[in-house]
Amino acid sequence: MALDRNIYDAILNGNAKQAYAATQAALAAGAEPMTLIQDSMVPAMDAVGKLFECEEYFVPELLLAGRAMKTSMELLKPLLSAAGQKMAVRVIIGTVKGDLHDIGKNIVASMMEGSGFEVIDLGTDVTPEKFVNAVRENNPHVVCLSALLTVTMQAMKTTIDALETAGVRAQVKVLVGGAPVTSQYAREIGADGYSDNASGAVSLVKELLGQLAA
Amino acid sequence: MRLKAIICQVFTREMEDIIARSNHTIDLEIIPMGLHSRGAEMHTYLQERVDAADDAGYDAILLGYALCGRGTEGLQAGKTPLVLPRAHDCIGVLMGGHQNFNAYFQEHPGTYFRTPGWTEFQTPDSELEPPFAATRPQLGERSTLKELIAEYGEEDGKFLFEQFNAFRKHYTGLTYISLPVASDEASRSRARAEAAKEGWKFEEVKGTLTILERLVNGEWSGGDVLLVPPGATIHAKMGDATLDAE
Repeated sequence: MALDRNIYDAILNGNAKQAYAATQAALAAGAEPMTLIQDSMVPAMDAVGKLFECEEYFVPELLLAGRAMKTSMELLKPLLSAAGQKMAVRVIIGTVKGDLHDIGKNIVASMMEGSGFEVIDLGTDVTPEKFVNAVRENNPHVVCLSALLTVTMQAMKTTIDALETAGVRAQVKVLVGGAPVTSQYAREIGADGYSDNASGAVSLVKELLGQLAA
Repeated sequence: MRLKAIICQVFTREMEDIIARSNHTIDLEIIPMGLHSRGAEMHTYLQERVDAADDAGYDAILLGYALCGRGTEGLQAGKTPLVLPRAHDCIGVLMGGHQNFNAYFQEHPGTYFRTPGWTEFQTPDSELEPPFAATRPQLGERSTLKELIAEYGEEDGKFLFEQFNAFRKHYTGLTYISLPVASDEASRSRARAEAAKEGWKFEEVKGTLTILERLVNGEWSGGDVLLVPPGATIHAKMGDATLDAE
């Protein structure tokens, strides 16, 4: 593994300018984009996740690290695209119908992208139909549903039911999360998993997809 | 009856009005707004307040809280029964219950709700000193721009403040729930000003004090109020029932 310390530290410290500069420098020195992601970005975001789990990092640090990671990705994504390279795991994420909250969802999306997954973010107030269409068009491995309110949580069930009715439920793993969501509720509505934090969501994807997400 | 009412600050003017007209003797305790953002702390805090009132010989402890993001889930009645509205949150309570709220909510996506309590005790700029600050371990959604800049520097502080408040851009309308309280007119003006500032369409609906009145007046047998007998615990129930006691 070829760790680029500058990229790693920039992301860990939430320094977007340094992440950009370090990525530019690494590319200029001949580093491969996918190698930078796998060997520097993913370990950095993994370290960020661990710091959050042991309560040394909190939501602001996650947001800053996510921004640094995205700044680095701005340089890497076009190069991956041009070379026809794709990530092994594709995730669709969105806040369910009627719910406009997105900060938790954004953090999960960030952690997933930083872990080397391709993330398609559908935004907020996403109808069950829109989730179904996104699954049909993109063939994701995982669908993540977010809700912050108990009044909108129930749209998680209608979304899962819609995936079932459309005949696409079996081809995805469905994860749910958000402040009022519980593992019991996840089980009741037929989700494949639940996490109460973004780092846990990434671990869950790796667990559910096995070798594919390793 | 002799009752204890432990209420969220959001219901202050409504409850003061109803209590003044009630034939019962009611001791009122007002908890600052914001518990619903504290996760598991809300339950712990409320249980402490309930336990503190439990030995005082009240006929019941009224809670001016609903499900509130599951914050009341797991609260246990001691010797004294608990009574609370069956709704998801204060908006549901003041719209006359979950069915009424849900009917409006489905027809009006992208709506930010305000009530007299929300406009009097909470501001959109989060400029008020946030309650429970002493127990808040880290900066987050309720932090002011000043606090974030102090901790993270100008650029990162501004970025974080934008991130925490970005969800407001998703709303398209503000609905003010008008209630028969003295502060209604002033609150309506503030809500209208907030809508104008955010570029949201302003609408008004007539709210109702019915559920809170039933709470205060001891009319606890209807479906919109939950009586939690001594020793029983509050459970969340998704769907219209919202809350149950077991």
